[in-house]
Amino acid sequence: MSSGVSVEQRQLPGGCPLWLIERPGPEILSAKLWLRGGSSGDAPGRRGEAQLLAGVLSRGCGELSGDALADLVEGCGAGLRCEAAEDGTLLSLKCASGDAALLLPLLLKMVCQPWLLDDQVSLERQLNLQTLQRQREDPFQLAHDQLRRLLYGTGPYGHDPLGVDEELAQIGVDHLRQRASRYGEDGAVLVLAGRIPAEVEQLLIQGLDASDWTCRAPQRAPGPQGASQSALATSQDDTEQLVLMLGATTTPLGAPQALALRLLHCHLGVGMSSRLFVALREEHGLAYDVGVHYPARLGDAPFVFHLSSGSDRAAEATAELIQEWQRLLQEPISQTELELALAKFRGQEALGRQTSSQIADRHALVLGHGLPFDFADRCLEEAAVLTPADLQAAAQTLLAAPSLSLCGPASALQAAETVWQRQGFSC
Amino acid sequence: MPEPRRSQLNNGAGIVEIDLPEAPVVCLDLWCQAGSAWEQPAESGIAHFLEHMVFKGSQQLSAGEFDLKVEALGGNSNAATGFDDVHYHVLMPAAAAPQALDLLLDLVLQPRLESDDFNLERQVVLEELAQSEDQPEEVAFQELLRQACNGHAYGLPILGRREALEAHTPASMARFHQRHYRADRCCLAAAGPLEGLQLNARLADSPLAALPRAELIPAVQPLQLQAGSTRLELPRLEAARLLMAWQLPGAADQDAVVGGDLLTTLLAEGRRSRLVEQLRERLRLVESIDLDLNVLESGCLVLLEAVCEPERLSQVEQEVRRVLLELQEQSPGEAELERARRLVGNGYRFSLEVAGSVAAMVGNSQLWGRRHNLQQPLDWLLHWDPDRLSREMIPLLHPDRAFSLQAVPA
Repeated sequence: MSSGVSVEQRQLPGGCPLWLIERPGPEILSAKLWLRGGSSGDAPGRRGEAQLLAGVLSRGCGELSGDALADLVEGCGAGLRCEAAEDGTLLSLKCASGDAALLLPLLLKMVCQPWLLDDQVSLERQLNLQTLQRQREDPFQLAHDQLRRLLYGTGPYGHDPLGVDEELAQIGVDHLRQRASRYGEDGAVLVLAGRIPAEVEQLLIQGLDASDWTCRAPQRAPGPQGASQSALATSQDDTEQLVLMLGATTTPLGAPQALALRLLHCHLGVGMSSRLFVALREEHGLAYDVGVHYPARLGDAPFVFHLSSGSDRAAEATAELIQEWQRLLQEPISQTELELALAKFRGQEALGRQTSSQIADRHALVLGHGLPFDFADRCLEEAAVLTPADLQAAAQTLLAAPSLSLCGPASALQAAETVWQRQGFSC
Repeated sequence: MPEPRRSQLNNGAGIVEIDLPEAPVVCLDLWCQAGSAWEQPAESGIAHFLEHMVFKGSQQLSAGEFDLKVEALGGNSNAATGFDDVHYHVLMPAAAAPQALDLLLDLVLQPRLESDDFNLERQVVLEELAQSEDQPEEVAFQELLRQACNGHAYGLPILGRREALEAHTPASMARFHQRHYRADRCCLAAAGPLEGLQLNARLADSPLAALPRAELIPAVQPLQLQAGSTRLELPRLEAARLLMAWQLPGAADQDAVVGGDLLTTLLAEGRRSRLVEQLRERLRLVESIDLDLNVLESGCLVLLEAVCEPERLSQVEQEVRRVLLELQEQSPGEAELERARRLVGNGYRFSLEVAGSVAAMVGNSQLWGRRHNLQQPLDWLLHWDPDRLSREMIPLLHPDRAFSLQAVPA
């Protein structure tokens, strides 16, 4: 943490942990309320519920109608977002610190006293359905959704947080009320960073005195699991390029081998000197966009190579991508490569702490996972003693049986499939 | 607000520095008046292709060596080619910034342009083009600009035409570089904790100081957007689009740019903006409606995008038209304008938190001869009242002045 920053931990009445990160500098305040429970908590038949609920939280709460709330927030020139991801629902507020007294009371009010009007729910549901439809224009989205199904089936991580059309269409206000009443049950944490106003706790619980929000700090708990069998899925689309996604389900943030995988991610996919960028783009000219997707998760996180390449080079692209994956299993990376990966890991940490929002966001995520506040700093220390053999062992344990998702024209699918059958990871 | 410090090398290259002692990294950003609008017809795509080739090595650096060195020092780099200009930026921990500066100047100003690398990188650019053509929304925007810009360079794709890309050679690219990457067409911006960088001393015998001045280059023509409309059927489109384009004064008139920012915010930023409220919240005709101001030297472009069901498209167009006409007839209220002022002002203040965006702002201004400090845009915001907005800005967004394109699934 840089100079002049002070950190304080408090607790709101009812039990929600409150972290205050006071920073000198611009007169800005960022607040992140992370609630355990996201799309992975959607019940079968109601996939899309967590996101739908998140979307309507700002459409009226407490004494404020949706219009009044929007007038207040936009009138202050502030940003307010409520979004569900796989493991949690995040309420984000960013404002000029002078407006904090007006805006901070909204956060808990949205969680505890949302209006959830039928009319507003139906609007939000319609918008989500339309977004799902529009996303199908994007071949990357199609390949990604298909890979998700391969890796997680109909399990908790098996659907986009926006949901599944037929099920989303059926979700009603009663479902949302029920779901909202459970906010906080599985833990929540509130992080404020920037210029912290005086008497901040009073502001946060303003108007809630009769109905204190009961919750607790998020705990470590096992998260959703993924498939461990290798599989292939293809989807025909009349595009110029073939989109390839090769991925496996791995391990939660904070699990023993997760840090080794994070370093492999840096080695393979961070920056223009990364292995995939150099091998596939610089040495073979096979792609413009190539990289690794490895999000932080409570459960078995996906670890995914992605690439899009001209259809006429489908076989070459598939072979090269598979070969890069196999290399991880077969040989350790060099000491020099490990040092570069470490430098990138440290660099990313520094670059990810530039704004109050980034700082609040990263701490909320870590705390939301039931990990300690200084988790990132500990990782920096622990990463320094990992060896190439540790990274290879992690790959062999966690990346042994990846699945391949393809989206593109028929001829390219066929060419890629042939390579996969010959060279792939048969079950 | 920290003040920009400006200076100039003997050859005319501009320097601008902003000291942000609290920032965790330094951003070095080299700007050049060498965007796609400066291409001759046969050079289609060469400005952007050159931006790729720069990273393939220089007099002192082999292909990829720059990225490797920068990233090994905990930094990162990137570049972007626009219509008007191109810029190359590095983010670095302060201790490594001097080294990054030397690398960056060598890289950008003395590229190798070797033939094998050139042919390989052409493949990458063609993949980039294919990737963008697989996004039907991109295709629709490109067609909108092509028809609206009426032969102007802003109507041509920055990525270039495929046949032209296939015909480029290292020699033709070197000519483009020599013509445009010249002292009086370049500037360097630095933002972050700059103590210890000793910028001026370092620049004295750098490739930037050795750069000759440019020969006379004809200016890019002013934009003259053409009003009109067209309809397009696109394969793979799932939702219909209404796209519209208007022209506002060019970036030289920063006060007008601020006015344009206010107007687009008033119309389409947030649930209580006029277009979002009417089309998405009340009538529920669209999934989303956005209005973006693209700040450009030859004339700013305001671009509207509404996403809707195909059968709603004509109703959406009528309603957009109605909202815009209503604004022509009646000035916005002071409260409505104040809301827009707060949104624009905070958006600007929030962007100042990051060294990279500060460097980009002052670098771009310096490149085009604008000398305002960081406070000035906030003052301009206060100069706009409802009457002035109605007089000077709103008429420019009359629906009859727009080019509009309806894109529907084929």
